[in-house]
Amino acid sequence: MPQPIVPLNSRLEAIGANRDPALSGRWLALISGRGGREQVLLLDLERQQPIDLPGLNRADAQPVSVSVDAAGERIALVRQLEGRTELVLYRRSVQSLQPIPMVPSGVARQVQLQADGRQLAVQVSRGGIWQVDLVQIP
Amino acid sequence: MSALLLITLSLLVSGCSGGAWLARRSAGPVGVFNGNSRQEPALSGQGRFLASVVDRGGRATLLLQEQPSGRILPLRHFQNRQPHSSPSLSWNGRYVAALVQQGNQRLALIEDRANGNLHRLPLPADRTAVRLSLSPEARQLAVQVAQAGQWRVQLFDLRSLLEPDLPGGLAVQGGGAEPSP
Repeated sequence: MPQPIVPLNSRLEAIGANRDPALSGRWLALISGRGGREQVLLLDLERQQPIDLPGLNRADAQPVSVSVDAAGERIALVRQLEGRTELVLYRRSVQSLQPIPMVPSGVARQVQLQADGRQLAVQVSRGGIWQVDLVQIP
Repeated sequence: MSALLLITLSLLVSGCSGGAWLARRSAGPVGVFNGNSRQEPALSGQGRFLASVVDRGGRATLLLQEQPSGRILPLRHFQNRQPHSSPSLSWNGRYVAALVQQGNQRLALIEDRANGNLHRLPLPADRTAVRLSLSPEARQLAVQVAQAGQWRVQLFDLRSLLEPDLPGGLAVQGGGAEPSP
């Protein structure tokens, strides 16, 4: 029977309301809410500490779906910003954010970055139909 | 302005952001299933397998496919218990985790495709599982639950239950052997 990891679960409980977990290696990415705002959180499970993500979270953006690779280097994020939904890729080592447009155009909903960080799968709405795009990451 | 010039200009402009030039494709065909709706994608660690939820006779059903061929792979324990949701794969696709319906509860299941074994993660009655994520090595499972009106994420240790599925391991092709007693 799987056992709850009590120390980590207590840590998560203290953080607040959390959703959309994405586990990869020693990293847990999730969307955490506090004070009416939600933001992306990246936890180092070995150190049981959150990791700073400069340039990723915005006060005027609503995170929708998040995923992280096994190295904890790349974070894929679907977010709502200024009335539109966008998919972005964040590279932690250089604190850079790259938008990934939907081609053909569509509304991204859910993203998953494969563990080696070389490809992501994104659920996209086009013409009222859900599709899945696979995007190679250089 | 000609259509060709417009297309060229739009590509150049969108290319400035870097995103338009990423190689991309639609996920492979879904064969006999209703191919017009596919949700909740999950990739194995190196992208060899893709799990998603498709409409099958009006029921949300887990689908596992090899990439890039799109060949559908059998799942022994996900034939019923719809609606399925939140699929998650281990590094080499040995383990497939997802939420299924059991009675009036959502239940987390993990199928070991190497030996056909099934593992259940029961939750206390006051918690409803909404989403899960399996770590690539299959050492941990994160589950989002609704508890006392709030979303919570809880982690479970799988090391005593599952063999690790490590990078470079053999990819499991078929539906696995008969489940061990």
